[in-house]
Amino acid sequence: MDRATLMDLLPALVVALPLLGGVLALPLRRLGERPRSVILGMLCLATVAGVIVLLPGALAGELRAVSLLRFAPQVELYLRVDPMGAQFAATVAVLFLLALVYSAGYLRHDGRETRYYTFFMLSLGWMLGVAFAGNLVTLLVFYELFSILVYPLVVHEDTPEAIRAGTKYIVYILVGGSLILLGVIFCFHLTGDRPFMPGGIFDPGTDRTLLRVTFWCLVAGFGVKAALMPLHGWVPDVHPAAPASFSALLSGVMVATGCFGILRVVFEVFGVGLAAALGVMPVLTGVAAVSVLLAAILAAGEDNLKRRLAWSTISQMAYVVLGVSLLAPRVTAGALVQISNHAILKGALFFCAGLLANQAGIRRVSEMAGAARRMPLTMAAFTVAALGIVGVPPLSGFISKWVLGVGILEAGQPLLLLVLLGGALLAALYLLEPVWMAYFHPPAAGGPGRRRPEAPLSMLVPLLVATLLSILLGLAASLPGLPLSLAERAAAAFFGPG
Amino acid sequence: MSFACAILIFVLGRHDFWRAALTLGASTVKLAIVLSMLPGSLAGTVYVYELLDFPPGIGIAFRADGLGMFFALVSSTLWVVTSLYAIGYMKGKHARVRFFGFFALCVSTTVGIAFAENLLTLFLFYELLTVCTYPLVIHDETPQALKAGRKYLAYTLSGGALILLGVVLVQHLAGTLTLSTSGVLSPAAGRPALLATFLALVAGFGVKAAIMPLHGWLPTAMVAPTPVSALLHAVAVVKAGVFGLLRVIYNIFGVDLLGLLDYTGWLALFASFTIIAGSVLALAQSNLKLRLAYSTVSQLSYIVLAASLLTPLAAIAAIAHIANQAFAKITMFFVAGAIERTTGRTHIFELAGIGRVMPWTMGAFTIAALSFIGIPLFAGFVTKWFLSLGALQAGAWWFVLLMVISSLLNAAYWLPILYLAWFREPRGLPRGVHEAAALLLVPTLISAAYVLLLGITSRIPGMPFSLAQAAVRFVTGI
Repeated sequence: MDRATLMDLLPALVVALPLLGGVLALPLRRLGERPRSVILGMLCLATVAGVIVLLPGALAGELRAVSLLRFAPQVELYLRVDPMGAQFAATVAVLFLLALVYSAGYLRHDGRETRYYTFFMLSLGWMLGVAFAGNLVTLLVFYELFSILVYPLVVHEDTPEAIRAGTKYIVYILVGGSLILLGVIFCFHLTGDRPFMPGGIFDPGTDRTLLRVTFWCLVAGFGVKAALMPLHGWVPDVHPAAPASFSALLSGVMVATGCFGILRVVFEVFGVGLAAALGVMPVLTGVAAVSVLLAAILAAGEDNLKRRLAWSTISQMAYVVLGVSLLAPRVTAGALVQISNHAILKGALFFCAGLLANQAGIRRVSEMAGAARRMPLTMAAFTVAALGIVGVPPLSGFISKWVLGVGILEAGQPLLLLVLLGGALLAALYLLEPVWMAYFHPPAAGGPGRRRPEAPLSMLVPLLVATLLSILLGLAASLPGLPLSLAERAAAAFFGPG
Repeated sequence: MSFACAILIFVLGRHDFWRAALTLGASTVKLAIVLSMLPGSLAGTVYVYELLDFPPGIGIAFRADGLGMFFALVSSTLWVVTSLYAIGYMKGKHARVRFFGFFALCVSTTVGIAFAENLLTLFLFYELLTVCTYPLVIHDETPQALKAGRKYLAYTLSGGALILLGVVLVQHLAGTLTLSTSGVLSPAAGRPALLATFLALVAGFGVKAAIMPLHGWLPTAMVAPTPVSALLHAVAVVKAGVFGLLRVIYNIFGVDLLGLLDYTGWLALFASFTIIAGSVLALAQSNLKLRLAYSTVSQLSYIVLAASLLTPLAAIAAIAHIANQAFAKITMFFVAGAIERTTGRTHIFELAGIGRVMPWTMGAFTIAALSFIGIPLFAGFVTKWFLSLGALQAGAWWFVLLMVISSLLNAAYWLPILYLAWFREPRGLPRGVHEAAALLLVPTLISAAYVLLLGITSRIPGMPFSLAQAAVRFVTGI
């Protein structure tokens, strides 16, 4: 009995642990920098452990739910662990843990670390809340708050550039948030408070026009964060401005939160049948396909390394939306796997970009000549992660591209396979160019001076762990408990037994 | 239960004592009395007490129903908090006897308005409130303050005259002034007469509710000391106007009659215009208190808009927003006052880095600002949520859009302040300036905590929200 209760409360506990960390970050300042990092790290580790404990249950199909509070009569805050949420939560928690370790080495001692750690831990907590949200209102609550909590992290550097980026970010996110609120209110008006359900929450006879409006409100709202093409404006500005430890999270999981929202909306608010009947999906497919290619082309034309990675994120996350919009089981699983695999890979790439900037002052692709001789380990990790994004077997990126590709064919859209391959080819173009520069170009004379050759251990370790993870997720993709199994399980639920 | 009301009157009589202890004591006692009436009110009991049969057949009488209880609860809670603050704020200023005397009178009349049984009683206390606030507005006795006071009197007394006209018309048409659940007027009175009544009453109460274009007095009255601004803007005066409007809409005309007449569509248009225009004007202000004033103009119209939608969910929003706006706005005024008293700064651009110097004060401000933007878990979200649902219930989706635009505008004028306060280095502040005095800080924190409470605990009986529901059950009969 006791054990069961503890397990029931675990989702809430997992959300609460990082929040505790956020609250403690300020008083712990007195202990000094290192003890605080250790304590926060332990909390983060405990969070990861908690999420991992939840995985088997989610895989077995139990829906573990806990009701937090009813904050207005018909509105309930409600956490629920399902396969998709568990997969996303695990990705989030792991990447946050890596980024936390990385931050300890990366942050300069400028007196703003306390603010950074506070909001870092708070956003982890709220983000897990997003993953475990069991109904639209809960999703909205966590999503809105965490979007705002992230602002201090975006402007952490306090440069005019960072502040401009922060303003842009907050404007985009607030407008997106308002659209989501609009959509949620429409849903609530149409159905009342219902938990997410595979197959949708709407009654059959609901007015189609209203449903379409609701759909576009929600998708456009989440699309702002998912960086769907006309709504992507904040991404390329915010990523370079934020500290690298946080850019990794922005790219890896923040943008994915938007995709996650879209997944929830399409499969568990509207449901496959209704989404198909509304006839809105082809439009989404088109938008996503254009995003994949256009963002990749823009990435290839960008010289600033972090901006290039940001464009790459837009392109890669559009894969997810593309997968969702086809409404077929395997391609959906592919989309979900892509979220996890991309998070780890892109995290690793941003870690590298941060190391390059910090240790060697390299911020542009054109400055990378000869970087591999100075920082062999960093560049090796960069290479692996870049190949992963491109989709070279046996890395994790290959798995998601493979499942997506097979799914696209199963959905009967062979033309879209060209988009997939085009995106991959362009990725090869824009990510392998820095690799080539680093390994095969002699260092430019009079370039940035040699200061410190290789990065300190605290930053290298998370980078290498992320790289190893991406290899592991590729080689052992079919092991139960890894993203692929959870994604297949989730997709199976969305499409019903049939 | 007449007994409770009698004690209340007794408390009213003694308010003229000026000593701080007495103010606090009286306010606490009053809060306790109001709270003691709460369980009954939640259960739907209506307390009636007839005081005087003054104009024969009408009389001065009190009745505590859900809506009245709600208003009384909000104002007496805030009175305790504001008294505490005022004691800290007025320390060492002149004419404190006059100040606290009239301060207490104001709250008494407000509770009188809340518990008025008929329109005449309501009107009587409403006019008394106007008179009682005048000495508070001109407290500083500068030429500017006196001018503001004249403007205030001119606006509100003309409004009062209009209300009197309306009251007479209602008496003539319905033969009674009692506030009844389903309204006292009937369609038989004829459209022209009903229209005239509606216009007179709405325009009259609309002055204090600051519906544009009748809002002119409010920003001018900002010369008053901060506790007065807080009280005027958050509780007593403006809310009396809004409360009067709610009474007119729900208890004089009644939802059914107004649904038939379609006047509220126009009222909703005016309110919508005020919401947007008030926010735009707020954006243009660089004085913190003036920005707060225009924000009040905008926020009050949420209530008017919600009431004019005539649906039950919107009614919940209208009533709940009385509390939500009151607590959030009073927090902001407290903060503005605390900053002014501690650092002497009144303009927004001077606030750079103030969060680093006065973290607790600005923390309270942040909570209030996020509530106005309507971030979930804060009080403002509850309003936004129910108002939107109520608008959809009425089939008017464009008001939902209006809500969204308005909350974005709110973000546009609050977030820059937060940014300045937290993310900039303090400049030019004398050394040694830090957190506001405890008497200023504690009330601020209490009301900020209330904003959070209102946002998350609306399920708990006894919190204003459940009372709002009880009031709506009473008003709409569901």
